[in-house]
Amino acid sequence: MTAAAPARTSRPVKPRRSMAIPIGLAVFVVITWLALSEQFGIGFDLVALIEDIARGRGILAELLSPNWSFVPRTAEPMIETVQIAILGAVIGCSIALPVSFLASRVTARNRGVLGVTRTVLSVVRAIPDILWALLFVAAVGIGVLPGILALVFFNIGVVVKLLSETIDGVDSGPIEAARASGANGFQSVRWAVLPQVLPNYVAYSLYAFELNIRASTVLGVVGAGGIGNMLFTQYRFFNWSNVSVIVIELFVLVILIELVSIQLRRRLV
Amino acid sequence: MTAVAQARPKPPSGLRRNVALLLAALVVGWAALTIDIRLGAILEVPGGLARIFGLMFLGKGPEWSYLGRAVEAMVESIWIAWIGTVIGAILSLPVGFFGAKNVSSGLISNVVRLFLNAIRAFPEIVLAIAIFIPIAGLGPVAGALAIGIHSIGTLGKLTAEVIEGIDPGPVEATRAVGGRPLQIQRWGVLPQVLPEIVAFWLYRFEINIRAAAVLGVVGAGGIGFVLSQAIAFARYDRAATAILVVVIATIMVDTVSGRVRRRIIEGAEARAVSEVEQPEVLVPSRP
Repeated sequence: MTAAAPARTSRPVKPRRSMAIPIGLAVFVVITWLALSEQFGIGFDLVALIEDIARGRGILAELLSPNWSFVPRTAEPMIETVQIAILGAVIGCSIALPVSFLASRVTARNRGVLGVTRTVLSVVRAIPDILWALLFVAAVGIGVLPGILALVFFNIGVVVKLLSETIDGVDSGPIEAARASGANGFQSVRWAVLPQVLPNYVAYSLYAFELNIRASTVLGVVGAGGIGNMLFTQYRFFNWSNVSVIVIELFVLVILIELVSIQLRRRLV
Repeated sequence: MTAVAQARPKPPSGLRRNVALLLAALVVGWAALTIDIRLGAILEVPGGLARIFGLMFLGKGPEWSYLGRAVEAMVESIWIAWIGTVIGAILSLPVGFFGAKNVSSGLISNVVRLFLNAIRAFPEIVLAIAIFIPIAGLGPVAGALAIGIHSIGTLGKLTAEVIEGIDPGPVEATRAVGGRPLQIQRWGVLPQVLPEIVAFWLYRFEINIRAAAVLGVVGAGGIGFVLSQAIAFARYDRAATAILVVVIATIMVDTVSGRVRRRIIEGAEARAVSEVEQPEVLVPSRP
């Protein structure tokens, strides 16, 4: 007791300051400076930008006066956009379910399979949706088909990533129980893992569908069907009041789908 | 009594689930049957893919002399993503505070959240086409601005959610020692949420790299322009080089950024004794 008394009155030692924060800040400043600069980066000039706003005022005014008579012409590509998103989501998420089990440490017992699956997936994820669309347009020609194919790959990337991480974190009790009662690999996945992750899978799929709606609106820019094509055409002919109509419609569509999807996800999870 | 106790419990009604499944099947069926695809086109897909793959990697192969141009364009995409993320981060931080119910008022936070949802509804390409290319002209600046504004939507929402999950203790302590409102935010709230928010910024940067890689398709700078030109002129050997550059650069950025994120989050866990939000929050948008 007496030996402890002086220790109690002495001041606690201040922890040494970590160098991580100053180093991080320095790295941040250097990268940002490089990125903004004229000769290395993109030449970001705030003053010029503010002057540009004045120059773009005419266009902005046109954007703010949407040409409502254009609405009927947008109906068909708009519906096509929704169809592309639905089919891309359904096919992509269906493929993603089995693949997720091959991409999780818990269910893919074979290290080789796991490694190959994960490598392929990181390549799939590294290619953005529109680049997929560009490739598929080159492969199968313009139309809705390359759009759907692009979204299929995009969805596989998103859903497998989320779901395989969920599978990594499942309760191992049911798996042990299934194995103890004689289940083989497939049976234990079916009866011990799948029921645990099914609600997450449905939620991720709905989330992917939301992303698809957003993505499918722009796929048309490269000729992969949907409203994006019309948007890009109107933009190229500087029909800003028509561009405005399409943008407003997209906005309404995305918000509507999101509201529905959020309601559904709340009920499910 | 005993009869009731022995009766088997009824299985829960599957009616609602079945109705939901039926509705979903109807919607999918409608989309599949009415969409404008020739059946023959589907059969041509494998052949078309094989042809393109052959032209890209097997025939003249990736054109290595094009590597310099592709890397240069990819670096521009990375700068676009970085500046976009910085714009989004700087602007979303105060917005996030106003969007958190426990920091601002209920009314203000609802208005801010609505505003953030509205921003998120516009894809970067749409923002670039409809607003920033008209203002800033064709080029990387328009792309960076489009990415920046879109990022405010997601980052602001995530920031507000993290702030709503804080431990109220430090806030009360700061108030008890006489902190003014701004000081309460600075010393009571910010230290609790900053590690996670910085991790979000990095995560967003990873997403923005992908967005910046495609913005060039509409003329907003970066490798997207190189790629779309290569494909438009059927130079698949060049397209192959560009795609390899995109994939390798993206995976490299992901790896570095992921490491830094993990370091930041784990550092935060070591410092805070109370439970920190699980890293699974890094998965975007699970309401």
